[in-house]
Amino acid sequence: MGPPVVGCEGVTKRFGDTEALRGVDLDVLEGEVFGYLGPNGAGKTTTLRLLMGLTRCSTGRVEVLGLDAWRRRDEVHRRVGYVPGDVALYPRLSGRDHVDYLGNLRGLGRPSVATKLAERLDLDLRRPTRELSRGNRQKLALVLALMGQPELLVLDEPSSGLDPLVQREFHALLAEHSARGGTVLLSSHVLSEVQRVATRIAVLSAGRVVAVEELDALRAKSLHHVEAQLKGPVRVEQFEALPGVRDVRLEDGVLRCDAPQSALDPLLKLVARHQVVDLTCTEAELEETFLAYYAAAGGPDAA
Amino acid sequence: MLHDVLRKTLYDQRRSYPAWCAGVLLVVAMYVALWPSIRRQPSMQDFLDQMPEALRNLFAMSGADMSTPVGYIQIELLSFMGPLLVLLYAVAAGSSAVAGEEDRGTLDLLLGTPTPRTRIVVDKAIAMVVGTVGLCALLGVALVAEGALVDLDLPVGHVAAAMLHLALLGLVFGALALAVGAGTGRLALSRAVPVLLAVVGYVVNGLGGLVDWLRPLQKLSPFYQYAAHDPLRQGVSWVSVGVAVATVVVLVVVAAVAFDRRDVAS
Repeated sequence: MGPPVVGCEGVTKRFGDTEALRGVDLDVLEGEVFGYLGPNGAGKTTTLRLLMGLTRCSTGRVEVLGLDAWRRRDEVHRRVGYVPGDVALYPRLSGRDHVDYLGNLRGLGRPSVATKLAERLDLDLRRPTRELSRGNRQKLALVLALMGQPELLVLDEPSSGLDPLVQREFHALLAEHSARGGTVLLSSHVLSEVQRVATRIAVLSAGRVVAVEELDALRAKSLHHVEAQLKGPVRVEQFEALPGVRDVRLEDGVLRCDAPQSALDPLLKLVARHQVVDLTCTEAELEETFLAYYAAAGGPDAA
Repeated sequence: MLHDVLRKTLYDQRRSYPAWCAGVLLVVAMYVALWPSIRRQPSMQDFLDQMPEALRNLFAMSGADMSTPVGYIQIELLSFMGPLLVLLYAVAAGSSAVAGEEDRGTLDLLLGTPTPRTRIVVDKAIAMVVGTVGLCALLGVALVAEGALVDLDLPVGHVAAAMLHLALLGLVFGALALAVGAGTGRLALSRAVPVLLAVVGYVVNGLGGLVDWLRPLQKLSPFYQYAAHDPLRQGVSWVSVGVAVATVVVLVVVAAVAFDRRDVAS
C-alpha cells in the first residue's frame, strides 16, 4: 500500500499567541470516507486549510497524496476537490460561469460532469449566485469540488444548510466517489451528520486528536441520556452496578443516567423489570461523549 | 471570457469600466466646454500670477500660461482632476485584486485550483495595466477629439506622452495597493497606504521647489516623474518612464512573492 492520502505528523499551528493545533497526527487511507469530528473551534477548519496549502503549519509535516501540502500545493490542487467551510462565491456570476471559470483553471474545459451533478442535486446553474439560498450555494460548491473527479475530496462541514432529501443524494455521491477508489475527508461538529457515510472517524478537541476510531467502535461508546419514570420501589445500586452506566440519579420516581450505546441493552432490560410510565433516550453531544471517555480516562487534557 | 484569471478580472469590470469611461469623457467635455470663455479672459492669468507661489506650485504647474491650449489643459486637467481619476481607478483595481477577493472570501475558491499564487498576482496586475492604460488612452483621444471642436488645439504626440506618464503615475500607486493587499490581505490598508502616499507625494512635489529641506525628496515623488519635465511641451522623458516602470515591476514582484509565502485568512 502506498503512502496515506492525507498524512499529518506532529502538526501545530499558531496564530499569534493562540495555538489552534497542538500536535495533530492524522492518517487517511486510500478509499476511506474519513470523518473529522469536533466541537466548533476545535481546529477542524484550521487543519483542512493546512491540507489545502492556504496556510502553513508552524511545526510538523503535512502531506497530501504524498506531496508537501504547502510547497507543492499546485500539484495537490490538481488532484483534490475542496469545499470551504464558509462558501463564498462571485455574486454576479452564475453557477454555469463558476463551472466554466474554475473548470478552465483546472484544465477541464467545460466539464459535462458538472451539469449531471447539478441535476442530481436539483441546482439551477443559470442563476447568479447572489440570488441563491445558502443551501443552493452549498450545492454549487459541491458541484465545483466534485466536477474534476478528484482523487481526494476535502469537505469542511459540507452538509450544513442542505435539506434532508439533498443530504441523501449528497451521501450517495460520496459513496460513489469512494466506490471509484476516491478518498473523502469531511469535517463536522455532529456525529449524526457523518455516521451514515464515514468508515473511520477522528475526534479533535482543543487542537488535539483525542481519538481515532472505526465508526462502529465510536457508536458503541456514544453516550446516551436515559430518563425513565418508574412506579414502585427502585434500587439505585442495581443500576450503578451495570458496566458503563454512570451518573445514576433518582428523584421523585424518575431515574436518570448516562450510558454508552453498548450498555443500553442491559440497562433497558433492567428498566423493564419495573413498571415503566415514561421513557426517553437521547444521544448526547459528541463533546460530552468524549469528555466522559477520554478526558476522564486520563487522556489528553482538554482545555 | 472566463478562461483565466486575467480575462475573468477584465470581465468583472464589464459594468464598472463603462462608468469610468463615461466619467473621463464627461470631465474632458467639461474642461473643453469652458475653454472658449477662459481664452477670452486674460484676467484668469493675472489671477494665477497673483496667487502665492506655494499655492501655484501645488495646484498648477508653474510657468503654464492659461491662455494657451497647452497651458490650460496642463493647469486644469493634468495637474489635478486627471491624476485623481486615474489614481482612483488604479488603486481600486490594485486593492481589489487580492485583498478584495480575500475580504469577500472568494479567494479560497480560486486558491483551491492549481493556479499558482504568483500567476494570480501577475494576471491581476496585467488586468490593472490594461484598464489604466485604456482609461488614459481614452482621456487622450477625448482631449484631442473634443478639443478640436472648440479650437483647443493640442499637439497629438505630446498628449500621448502626457497620457503615458499619467498611466504610469496611476500604475505606481495601483501596484502599491496590489502589493499591500497581496502582502497583508487587508483591504482597507491596501487603499489607505497608496492614497496617503499619493497625497504626500503630491505635496512634496508641489512644494519641493520652494522648501529647501523638501528639495532632495522631490525627485522621489511619482508626481515628479509624472510632470516635472512638462510632457505636454517636452514629450516623453524616458528616464521618468524607466523609474516608473521599474517601480511598478518591483512592486508586482513583491506582491507575488509576499502572497506566495503568507497564510490566507479564512
